[in-house]
Amino acid sequence: MIRLSESNPSIKKEKDKMNKTIRRKNLLKVSGITVGVLALSSTLLVAPSQAAPATGSPIKVGVLTDMTGAFAIVGKSNKAVAQFTIDEINKSGGVLGHKLVMDLADGGSAPDVATQAASRLVNQDHVSMVVGGVASFTRVAVRGVIATRGKTLYVWPASYEGNECTNNVWNTGSAPNQQVDPTVKYLLAQGKKTFFLAGSDYLYPRNILARVRQDVLAGGGSIVGEEYVPLDMTDASNLTSKVVAANADALFEVVVLPGTAPFIKGVVDAGYKGTIAGTLFDEGINPLIGTEAQGLIGVQDYYGPIKDAFSQSEVAKFNAQHPEAKGLFTSTFNAPAWYRSIYLWKAAVEKAGSFDTAKVNKAMDSVSLSKSIGGPVGFAPGTKHLKLSMYLGQSNGDGSETVLKSLGQISPYQCSAATN
Amino acid sequence: MSPSVIRGIFDVFSLTSILVLLVLGMAIIVGMMKVFNMCQGEFVLLGAGTAYLSYQYFGSVLLGILLAPVVVGFFGLVLERTVIHRFYANPQGALLATFAIGLVIRETVQTRMAAQSSLVPAPISSSVNIGGAVLPIWRIVIMIVTLVLALTIALVLLKTSVGLKIRATLDNPELVASSGISTKWMYAWTYALGAALAGFAGAMIVPLQTLYPNLGYENLIPMFIAVMIGGLGQFAGPIAGAALIAIPGGVLSQFINPVSSQILVLCFAIVFMRFRPMGIFQRGR
Repeated sequence: MIRLSESNPSIKKEKDKMNKTIRRKNLLKVSGITVGVLALSSTLLVAPSQAAPATGSPIKVGVLTDMTGAFAIVGKSNKAVAQFTIDEINKSGGVLGHKLVMDLADGGSAPDVATQAASRLVNQDHVSMVVGGVASFTRVAVRGVIATRGKTLYVWPASYEGNECTNNVWNTGSAPNQQVDPTVKYLLAQGKKTFFLAGSDYLYPRNILARVRQDVLAGGGSIVGEEYVPLDMTDASNLTSKVVAANADALFEVVVLPGTAPFIKGVVDAGYKGTIAGTLFDEGINPLIGTEAQGLIGVQDYYGPIKDAFSQSEVAKFNAQHPEAKGLFTSTFNAPAWYRSIYLWKAAVEKAGSFDTAKVNKAMDSVSLSKSIGGPVGFAPGTKHLKLSMYLGQSNGDGSETVLKSLGQISPYQCSAATN
Repeated sequence: MSPSVIRGIFDVFSLTSILVLLVLGMAIIVGMMKVFNMCQGEFVLLGAGTAYLSYQYFGSVLLGILLAPVVVGFFGLVLERTVIHRFYANPQGALLATFAIGLVIRETVQTRMAAQSSLVPAPISSSVNIGGAVLPIWRIVIMIVTLVLALTIALVLLKTSVGLKIRATLDNPELVASSGISTKWMYAWTYALGAALAGFAGAMIVPLQTLYPNLGYENLIPMFIAVMIGGLGQFAGPIAGAALIAIPGGVLSQFINPVSSQILVLCFAIVFMRFRPMGIFQRGR
């Protein structure tokens, strides 16, 4: 399509100029690398130990979230929750006599940006621990930098697809057994026999729907269709038609934003009468779905109207102190998990009597909180996952949630291959 | 006919009309002007954004749909006079410059948006029941509007003196200039027309999707493929190209999964380009 004419003198001149620039760039690169290597070796020589902070000196808590990019709204919530929790801990005397300070790093909703941000937290700022990550790709990208090579405690505070059992990594969000199992159990108990599974084509929806399939078949139901749409497919009307044609009793959907709203709207508008369930519905996401959110079923570790005095008063305080994130304290934005992450780490540090990663890592294994937003939580030894209080919820057209049932504490997820 | 067959046929027409609507502006800018306009997707995004803002501030999506071509067309006019006109002799430069402009627009929208995506309701949100299949009226409106718009533009380009001037300018600017017509402004207004059409398309389709920063960018690849298959140099080619990839895509994905159908359509495009590198309306050489 585009032809470069070699005989054209102006193009030749351009090329000469380009070659010169390239040579200059190479030179710059080489000198840059040299300086970099020198700088690196000097940091390695003088790298201070994070193990024993001076008495009373502040402790840095690494907060890694997406302040920019697609998940910026989640980042806004995460940052406010982290600040709220840290302020609360500092007001009650800090941790082992040390005040906490937030060290915020922007993951940019992209794994490469998150990796650099995590590296800064661990290698330059020498934070005591890192809490964060919004999407699973961020966790997968940064866990090596923080936990494995960085030898720093990493708390992953998100509802996710399961199977994270790396050493020094602790999962404080809900796992498929806590979200999917009770949802499917409820649908089966409601007399739903046939299921259609629909999701975006990547790791999280595929793993969640694999669990749904397993649960449905084990419970005597049947799967009448399973379909994945590419993340860049802007119009899922074909999938909508398949769902309507299959006419299953229930639709379990994990089509992620921005596809969620058009998909659900398409299915509802086309006359689908079955129940729609999923893992990503609550007060945070419902407003993005609109009035079609009416009747969506799901299970989360927290909903606004849960009957828990501690949660109610804490969230009220949060909304008052952080008006910029008012209404963003929701389960799908991982707010309750962020809150408990910092408190669980505090409990582990106090139990270990030290900020040393190895000691805190050992203590984490069995810490628990008698109260937290959403209800009491605790690590079950050897699982790296929490025993969590879960709730069955139904979305309303105005974006709010109705809690159908409090499910109590659900036992933690078990890694199939523990690497710890 | 069973409801699901009716729906299937409807889906194919709907997907095709949406792609044709998106490609109209590109058929002018890339197809006729031969500017490799990588920010065409962002024109679509800006049109969608106009619809959203109009809904937010004036409570009317319809007003936004009418405003979108004016706003985006004016933006295109300014862009042509400031940047694009410098790159007519340098297609690679145009490719990079427009890509950069698109990136700036996309990232600006990204940082200005409060949420991951925002809803824009359709001006007509009801459905109609045809033979048992419940079909959204807004998609039917898009089909009709696309057909009328494509025919109108084709008629203007082929039958009116303005159309003649546009085609003449793009074909032989020296001759047109020596006939006393300002080619500078012919180029600018033609580019603005292409931008306006993309903006209009964005405003029309955003109720079927949601407003998010990559709305236009994710449509850019199918739009470009449509233009390449259709062939450069005339208006009708890209439109036919859009139909040629949307129809098999729509039909295939009813029988196999969407991921595989996407791959198959791309393979088809590659094979097609191999045998007809100059596009559908390739003439014998």
